[in-house]
Amino acid sequence: MPIDPGPKFVPLSELAARVPDGASLAIGGSFLHRGPNAFVRELIRQQKRHLDIIKQSPGYDLDILCRAGCVAKARAGIVAMEGNFGLAPWYRRAVEQQQIELEEHACMTLTAGLRAAAFGVPFQPVGGVHGSDLARLNKWVSITDPYGSGQQVWIVPAIRPDIAVIHVNEANELGDGRVYGTYNWDRIMSRAAKRVFLVAERMASVRSFQDQPELTLIPSFMVQGVSIVPHGAWPGSCWPLYEVDYPAVEDYLSPQRALETHLTDAPETKEHVFV
Amino acid sequence: MSDDRPAWSSFSYIVTNLARFVRPDEVTFSGVNSTPPMLACLMAKRAYDFDFVYLNVAGGVQPRPSKIPISSSDPVLAEGSTAIFTNEDFYDLCTRGGMDLCFLGAAQVDGRGCTNVSAIGDWHRPKVRLPGGGGGAVMLPTARRAVTWRTEHSTRTLVETLDFVTAAGGMHGVVTPIAVFVKRHDRLVLQSWHPDVTLDTVQERTGFSFDATDATPTSLPTARELAALRSLDPDGQFERDAQLQ
Repeated sequence: MPIDPGPKFVPLSELAARVPDGASLAIGGSFLHRGPNAFVRELIRQQKRHLDIIKQSPGYDLDILCRAGCVAKARAGIVAMEGNFGLAPWYRRAVEQQQIELEEHACMTLTAGLRAAAFGVPFQPVGGVHGSDLARLNKWVSITDPYGSGQQVWIVPAIRPDIAVIHVNEANELGDGRVYGTYNWDRIMSRAAKRVFLVAERMASVRSFQDQPELTLIPSFMVQGVSIVPHGAWPGSCWPLYEVDYPAVEDYLSPQRALETHLTDAPETKEHVFV
Repeated sequence: MSDDRPAWSSFSYIVTNLARFVRPDEVTFSGVNSTPPMLACLMAKRAYDFDFVYLNVAGGVQPRPSKIPISSSDPVLAEGSTAIFTNEDFYDLCTRGGMDLCFLGAAQVDGRGCTNVSAIGDWHRPKVRLPGGGGGAVMLPTARRAVTWRTEHSTRTLVETLDFVTAAGGMHGVVTPIAVFVKRHDRLVLQSWHPDVTLDTVQERTGFSFDATDATPTSLPTARELAALRSLDPDGQFERDAQLQ
């Protein structure tokens, strides 16, 4: 597959500029944890439109994109701010007012679609789903085990995001990325997508990756773009570096607070670090 | 009793009765958006003599978190783990039959223990768009037992007919601030009710019909259960955040 034109290491604004309007975008992390939120805010600053957001458990990221009018469609399993914050208000409004199309999944049916894409097959069986209205809603098909067990299995069509954006703890100068703590769904997202962008908290030496290659989640040959953005998961957490900034989330959710102000508060507006 | 709190608050009733579903040696899971089950699993570790395998959505495997987080998916919940068991791992474990007890959220529950976490009203033109079921549609039918909780016990949360069936397969247990239901022959039946309310109240506030033949008032928390919950919520912040009457 041809590599994107242009350098691999770019400032955040250039990385976000590579996302065309209408792109399908898988976003790493889960709820308020280790999402590429600086990248998401940059999409808003660049006024991207008609995005198709793919994530098992989005929250702040999908909500703020809905708030800014960047979203045409969302494919998700559960959407919430979590903690004590409850529902994601701007997402909720966008769905209730039918401003965006929702493809509601269970987290694992979305993953099954990503697995199909990662495996290079058109569909993927998934456990469970029996009796759920989600099957009818999404027109999923069930098949009888062709090998004779008699089991009925639901199958989900492939979901192949144009781009997966993953927030990693560390990248090296080749563009490999690694995550500390759980990597949530990021591995399968990165394998399913046509292109992978990394946003990294910091650089680490190639040597340190060679010493422990098993820690690498995403090998550099799969990666088309990398930006270094310290605190880029703000206001979410990035284990073990920083926790959720709950006052900032509260601030974001305050209807009195303009989106502009929140965007200006973000750390990526203060630190421009890239290689 | 030395504790000056009432024997049951709504909060302690929910968390403790969730913890009472935990059984020895079983694989037990708490997920996203699930503060009460997170506390219940951590409480069971401290209050009961038996051990069980505690997994959580942060990748934790028998974790020893240094603090109790506000978010039940906070990575601190994997602290002290000797392994990281990621999202795909625990779902696959569940669908292949290896999840003994799984705590799942719900907005509406019907008399069969099926759940709606998707929308109030018509799904296509919702009055309220709810968060979505997350793991529900896959885990509820495949976990050996699944248990849910509702912080509101009313005819709009415990309903005869769901607005939308997000997850079928039927809860093994449902805990509310005033009652504990368990499944028997594919129907929820009342196991016990809060000793400060009457059985009539439970019936009035429940939208589906249920058998209460064998139900008894819920036994009061033990000293160890009280101590365990107090140790997890020493200043009562979780209890205040839950905003229960």
